[in-house]
Amino acid sequence: MSDPIANWTPGDDTMVENAIRRGADRRELLRMLLGGGVALSAGGAILGRAGAALAAEPVKGGHLKIAGFAASTADTLDPAKASNATDYTRCCALYNRLTFIDGAGLVRMELAESVESTDAKTWTVKLRKGVTFHDGKSLTGKDVVFTLKRHLDPATGSKVATLAKQITEVTADDLTVTITLAAPNADLPTILGLHHFMIVADGTTDFSKGNGTGAFILKEFKPGVRSVMARNANYFKKGPYFDSFEYFAIADEPARLNAVLSGDVHVGANLNPRSLRVIEGNASIAPFVSKLATYTNLNLRLDLAPGDKAGVAEGFKYLINRPVIQKSVLRGLAEIANDQPIPAWSPYYNAELKQREFDPERAKSLFQKAGLLGPEVRIVVSDAASSSADYAAVLQQAGGKIGLNLVIDRVPADGYWSNYWLKEPFSAGNINARPTPDIMFSLFYQSSAPWNESRYKSEKFDAMLLEARGLLDLPKRKQIYGDMQAMVANGAGTVIPAFQSNLDGVTPKLKGLVANPLGGMMGYTLPEYTWFGA
Amino acid sequence: MNSLILRMIAGRIVVTLMTLLIVAIVIFCATTLLPGDVVQILLGQSATPEAVAGLRQAMHLDQPAALRFLLWLKNLATGDLGVSYVNGIPVAELIGNRLANSLKLAGVTAALSVPVALTLGITAAILRGTLVDRLVAVVTIAVISVPEFMVATLAVIVFAVTLGWLPALSMTGDVTTLAGLIKAFAMPVITLSFVISAQMIRMTRAAVIETLSAPYVEMALLKGASRRRMVLHHALPNALGPIVNAVALSLSYLLGGVIIVETIFNYPGIAKLMLDAVATRDLPLIQGCAMIFCFAYLLLITIADIVTIVSNPRLRHA
Amino acid sequence: MSVSLSSTRPVRRWRLGYRISPVGAVAFLVILAWAVVAVTAPLIAPHPVGEIVDFDFFQPMSAAYPMGTDYLGRDVLSRILFGARYTVGISLASVALACLTGVTLGMAAAVIGGAFEAALSRFLDALISIPSKIMALVLVAAIGSSMPVLILTLAVIYTPGSYRFARALAVNVNAMDYVTVARVRGERLGYLIRAEILPGIVGPVLADLGLRFVFIVLLLSSMSFLGLGVQPPNADWGALVKENIGGLSLAAPAVIFPSLAIASLTISVNLLIDNLPQKIRDRSADA
Repeated sequence: MSDPIANWTPGDDTMVENAIRRGADRRELLRMLLGGGVALSAGGAILGRAGAALAAEPVKGGHLKIAGFAASTADTLDPAKASNATDYTRCCALYNRLTFIDGAGLVRMELAESVESTDAKTWTVKLRKGVTFHDGKSLTGKDVVFTLKRHLDPATGSKVATLAKQITEVTADDLTVTITLAAPNADLPTILGLHHFMIVADGTTDFSKGNGTGAFILKEFKPGVRSVMARNANYFKKGPYFDSFEYFAIADEPARLNAVLSGDVHVGANLNPRSLRVIEGNASIAPFVSKLATYTNLNLRLDLAPGDKAGVAEGFKYLINRPVIQKSVLRGLAEIANDQPIPAWSPYYNAELKQREFDPERAKSLFQKAGLLGPEVRIVVSDAASSSADYAAVLQQAGGKIGLNLVIDRVPADGYWSNYWLKEPFSAGNINARPTPDIMFSLFYQSSAPWNESRYKSEKFDAMLLEARGLLDLPKRKQIYGDMQAMVANGAGTVIPAFQSNLDGVTPKLKGLVANPLGGMMGYTLPEYTWFGA
Repeated sequence: MNSLILRMIAGRIVVTLMTLLIVAIVIFCATTLLPGDVVQILLGQSATPEAVAGLRQAMHLDQPAALRFLLWLKNLATGDLGVSYVNGIPVAELIGNRLANSLKLAGVTAALSVPVALTLGITAAILRGTLVDRLVAVVTIAVISVPEFMVATLAVIVFAVTLGWLPALSMTGDVTTLAGLIKAFAMPVITLSFVISAQMIRMTRAAVIETLSAPYVEMALLKGASRRRMVLHHALPNALGPIVNAVALSLSYLLGGVIIVETIFNYPGIAKLMLDAVATRDLPLIQGCAMIFCFAYLLLITIADIVTIVSNPRLRHA
Repeated sequence: MSVSLSSTRPVRRWRLGYRISPVGAVAFLVILAWAVVAVTAPLIAPHPVGEIVDFDFFQPMSAAYPMGTDYLGRDVLSRILFGARYTVGISLASVALACLTGVTLGMAAAVIGGAFEAALSRFLDALISIPSKIMALVLVAAIGSSMPVLILTLAVIYTPGSYRFARALAVNVNAMDYVTVARVRGERLGYLIRAEILPGIVGPVLADLGLRFVFIVLLLSSMSFLGLGVQPPNADWGALVKENIGGLSLAAPAVIFPSLAIASLTISVNLLIDNLPQKIRDRSADA
């Protein structure tokens, strides 16, 4: 399932590091690099770099304390319901997935030994032998069947019910699971690597015990307060290295940063990019940046005024000053985006699509034609969509200069997603990176998608989506996804100014960090893979 | 007089029950005004209509809200606070621990700030018009004028980050020694003392000055009684009513009003719990917290009123 | 101006007389200055309130930006000047509304007594026992955030406290002989509370109003901590402190100057009240 490497990217450094960690020798690694088109000399340099990052052998012991940014009484250890970094981090420590996505964005096997299909419709999953749950029960295919079927039951409240719907049948025979899909989908191994698809024991109803196969065993869990876990001595993988791991949340960002600075916690998750200035001048904290395809966007519904008039959405795409957002709002911890959700480091990225520039004059003429200059245009933003008020302020400022009367309506984060997002004619969204273009497009741009933020409707687009989904032929897929990126960038009402990197502040003695495209804190798996160096 | 106070307490119990009922109704009305219900909030971005309907049914929330409220009231009459919609844990259990935490913090803060505030207030009153008096006035206002998140953050930067004397977080769960306990409580207690002392200082000063200006006190002063003696023996007992009221109001703030301090120092108290409950529209939990706040408040003002009655002969015989 | 137990009202104009204390005058000038700033902000601010003047953030004081730049690289001076409108305007309006309602109801309750007082007290006690920040959160989340909503929300939150305070004072005054006499005379409710009760409680009520003003300014800033409050790009001073709090460890002027602005206003309001000429504090003494 590994994609051929076309260009060397920082993500590939990560992959090499991962390979070294798996125990690959130098020859194997060089072969891997050469296969990716990297010259021998350059290959050596890359290996040196990755080797240095991992020079220290993992050390066992210690009590790891992580401060996340959100915790409430709604905290859950049910992977299907997990909704933020707090839930993901806990679930990653307690459970495992069939597959996981590594630092380079590639699919690796975890509880599965293999996930294979010849037609992308019927998939065979072979499970690892000898894996046990924390309560002593052995992992079998039944657990996988139970886990996957839960997502189809509305009573579960699964966050990925939309994705799970394509699974029509799951059957198990001891350690072999057969998954049948409604239509071919070549991305199934990636989908199974999403956090929500962690495997729980057959018949589980009470998830507060956190009974999984994961690296840590639950000792204490108080929703909204904290969780404490201890090392799983019977873990099937190497590690974990910490004796125990404690997680709680400090909602206030300066307080989270200060807690790392004072040494009270080892990891402060999701810090403000502006805090880099404090971090860089301080020996008691190190920055850990993860480049993500997460973004905040400003969305015009194409079925409501003012977005229903031709050229309005396009005008806003020209009016948004992306460099200002990248430099001033996100302090450089961002990549400029081009109004479509696939980042430049994705193998499916369409590099030929021209980057849209800041062009207020062009926006002005488009708005003039649409009659938008003069009357109030209201945009709804909220702290729920990170930095959206700042984005809107940048837009408002540029708009003021061309006679656009943009009024910002900042509403409470409380209830934002159920009451404003998707409902308002012009509002902000905040989309977490999903690992494949298929997931992104099906969730946010397919005509029938419940989260189609701008009500973008195109039969051609829907047909292309279905076609690409079933293709095992990579170049062909890349071509289709490339065209779809252009369609979204030009046709949808979603203004996507930048991809936001994630900044965690960590204690400098924390070793083994590798950024992961699924999210900050190594895609929330930090407790399992890191250790305290000398 | 004792019988009068007993009668008052009996009356207050009735009044307390009435007020609790009013609070429950006010809270119910206010939360129904809030956009979205618990299911929509829990599903967040995933709240598609069918997902909402499915989960609502699974959580037994398909009855009308008003009916559920009446059922909750009925159970409350038997002392049952109900079960959280969000995680199925009994509300009493969720509140229990965190209420204990809040009471600890409030207790320590009160033990520190009440004596300090009363001393400063009385001193300022005795030295009325002097530099000390003005200094106390300006400093108290200056201190509460700074938003508490600024005081708290500044305290963390100075004492935890720069000097390293105190922990940045107040997690009393793992504390075993007295020194550890003092360290853990130091910063939140100081921050909160800043917030609540000003009102007590100013009200104490005002009340003492008011009684000092009573003709009989002025007469005594003119006759040469020491000002200090007058304050401690005559003015203070008479000013006790308003002072105790101000103290009661300040202390009631220590349970529900400390959201920011709980957030910054990561202290698991009950104010943050109620904020969570509001954010997730968890009605039984919101109501449970509101009942606690209301009860604590009524208890405090009842004590204040008893003190007022005892200290004011005019009211005593009324 | 007395809660004292004497049977005659003290008339002590001789203490401060008609003299205006210099401290009071300075305090008054500060408040006046902020009020003028609030009105004329668009004329005197060097930059529009939302303009990003510099790519760099948390800049130190300079000739171009006398109070530095904020977290987005906006001119802090301009933002404080515009912020005056919200902090001064919203706080004054809501404190006036809260105290007017609270004190009037409090006096009325003390005079009327009986079922009226009981019902009102229970209802307002119920309101006061709900934590103010949560009440603000609920009201703003339910109704939306605009100037009138903010003013009303803050007024609703602070009315019960004001009521309780005024009623406690008024009950004492109400027990005085001269009030009883007036009542026996058959004076109407309006006259009783205006001419007999109010003069007896106006001093402490004013002192309370000063504090309540501070609390409203603070609650407004707490609301920004919870993500409520004034609409961007505008911000009240508390929100300015909050949005730039990350600059505190960098000693950025962006977080210090708004704090100073808040302190200057709240201290002035309280000093002014403390130093009001006796004539105003005791105005009924002439009546």
